[in-house]
Amino acid sequence: MAAACGRLWRPNAGVLGLAARPARCLSLSGCRISSDGKPAKFQPPPKPVIIDKQKQRDEKRFLSPEFIPPRGRIDPLKLFLERKDMIQRRKVFNIPEFYVGSILAVTTADPYANNKTNRFVGICIQRGGKGLGATFVLRNVIEGQGVEICYELYSPRIQAIEVLKLEKRLDDNLMYLRDALPEYSTFDMNMKPVSHLDHEEVPVNKLQVRMKPKPWSKRWERPKYNIKGIKFELPEAKMRAAQKWSQPWLEFDMMREYDTSKIEEKIWKESG
Amino acid sequence: MAGCGLLGRLARRLWAAAPGRPLWAAASGSRGQLGFVVRHVNSATWWHEHLSEENVEFLKKITAEEYKAQTASKLCPLKDEPWPLNEWKPDSIRVGVVAVKLGMMPIWTKSGKKHAVTLLKVQDCHVLRYISKEESGGKISKLLVGGKNGSPFFKSEAAMEIFKEAGVPPKQKVTTFNVTDDAIIKPGTPLYAAHFRPGQFVDVTAKTIGKGFQGVMKRWGFKGQPASHGQTKTHRRPGAISTNKASKVYRGKKMPGKMGNIYRTSFGLKVWRINTKHDIIYVNGSVPGHTNCLVKVKDSKLPTYKDCNKNPPFPTFFADGDENLPEDLYDEEIFQFTDPSVTYA
Repeated sequence: MAAACGRLWRPNAGVLGLAARPARCLSLSGCRISSDGKPAKFQPPPKPVIIDKQKQRDEKRFLSPEFIPPRGRIDPLKLFLERKDMIQRRKVFNIPEFYVGSILAVTTADPYANNKTNRFVGICIQRGGKGLGATFVLRNVIEGQGVEICYELYSPRIQAIEVLKLEKRLDDNLMYLRDALPEYSTFDMNMKPVSHLDHEEVPVNKLQVRMKPKPWSKRWERPKYNIKGIKFELPEAKMRAAQKWSQPWLEFDMMREYDTSKIEEKIWKESG
Repeated sequence: MAGCGLLGRLARRLWAAAPGRPLWAAASGSRGQLGFVVRHVNSATWWHEHLSEENVEFLKKITAEEYKAQTASKLCPLKDEPWPLNEWKPDSIRVGVVAVKLGMMPIWTKSGKKHAVTLLKVQDCHVLRYISKEESGGKISKLLVGGKNGSPFFKSEAAMEIFKEAGVPPKQKVTTFNVTDDAIIKPGTPLYAAHFRPGQFVDVTAKTIGKGFQGVMKRWGFKGQPASHGQTKTHRRPGAISTNKASKVYRGKKMPGKMGNIYRTSFGLKVWRINTKHDIIYVNGSVPGHTNCLVKVKDSKLPTYKDCNKNPPFPTFFADGDENLPEDLYDEEIFQFTDPSVTYA
């Protein structure tokens, strides 16, 4: 994930999940008055200096995670063809940069709705799939009932994806919100978008949620899930017992390492 | 030196074990004959026995070049004494192609419906031999078709003969297609993905993924027995295999055994899209076999799809013909990513 954290805006940097909002700073110097009190001959004010802060962040870019292929023996040609379709779709349709933990509003075409469209607001709790079949799951609590919708990122039925609040959480998967108190996954359907400047780093929301009493859908306290965003209120003995399942050797397993930096570079080069 | 000391100690121990026979001719300091015998699985051919490593490298390089030139010379079958071309008739049966299964991906229709498609790549596919009606037994003539170039170094002379006759590189997979007499093609003709057209239906044959020796629950979908309620050693067993009166087991009784690794055909799969540049066929749904396996694709034999398979390129698509195809051919229902999102007005 660390490689995918950086972001940038470039006018022609391709369409691989880039947010395109220019932010500029103007600097103007004031009107000068000569020393003897009389106003001097008119001098045109100096041209405004435009400092594009984006340029300073040229090195870091954001590549949407579905572009990184899974490990395996898939023919590179197949991945290339799929990528070509993905980029073609992104040229027509703006898929913004977002993360697990961001709040999104998605408008889809729905033949059964009154105005033939359906808008849903929720927090992104999971991003799944690789290539054209990439998905994301939005969760919200509506009238006391938890609702989750899994959207296909490249489905032509999606008409707009709007990022209402761009932020990350402590974890890459927020499925534990199902077992958390409903207030943590309740969002206003008429929420106004929170402004976010492009050159800013994506903020990490260090919120720790409180859970409903057990039983949960998964034993989130176990080290396998490595959850940091839960405020566990379990007895000390239980937390210690959960550590029995820890596998501290796995982080030293070199076969499990998957360095994607070279693949990312290649994809950037290919998309121009 | 630590290594020397270790070797010396080992030598002394060996000496102690067999004092009568010296293992080393010379004293310590000369290199001992301690070594590992390395067995290479791939070193069993004539080439490896008789050629030096440089020669093997050279041969590999030169054969690759030769085969490239060979395929390039075969690109224009129409210019070089083609066999007579016939008109398509409703009862003619065309040849099929050998393709590589690349994997699956989703595709959407203009109505917003999602379909899963399998990508099949037609790679180095050539017609190898024509077997006339008389030769093949008097019923129908046959065409041998090979796909995906292979190495010549692991094939016997006899096996290479068919490729030499056709003048094409050796193939990893050779299959037979039954064709009618009006659809025969000259050996050496390359086949392309544009042999099929979007909207038509195909049958795909391949070897399924081998599952090894399996029990009846996995192999035949038997129900098994309950996990609890007093079961003793009976959870996944087949139960009775015959009756008292029959007193024998009928042939074909479903029993445990080897599962998978047999040829299976998926019938009536729609072709959604064709990529003519990379020779990819996008076929609806799943196809037998694992990723990167070689499959056999031909026009569907199901009578239901007769109307969809009318007027195909006959006897095949020729790259040097008059037809100029765009890079991608789509079925008319398919949503193209250059279009805006789907709306239901």
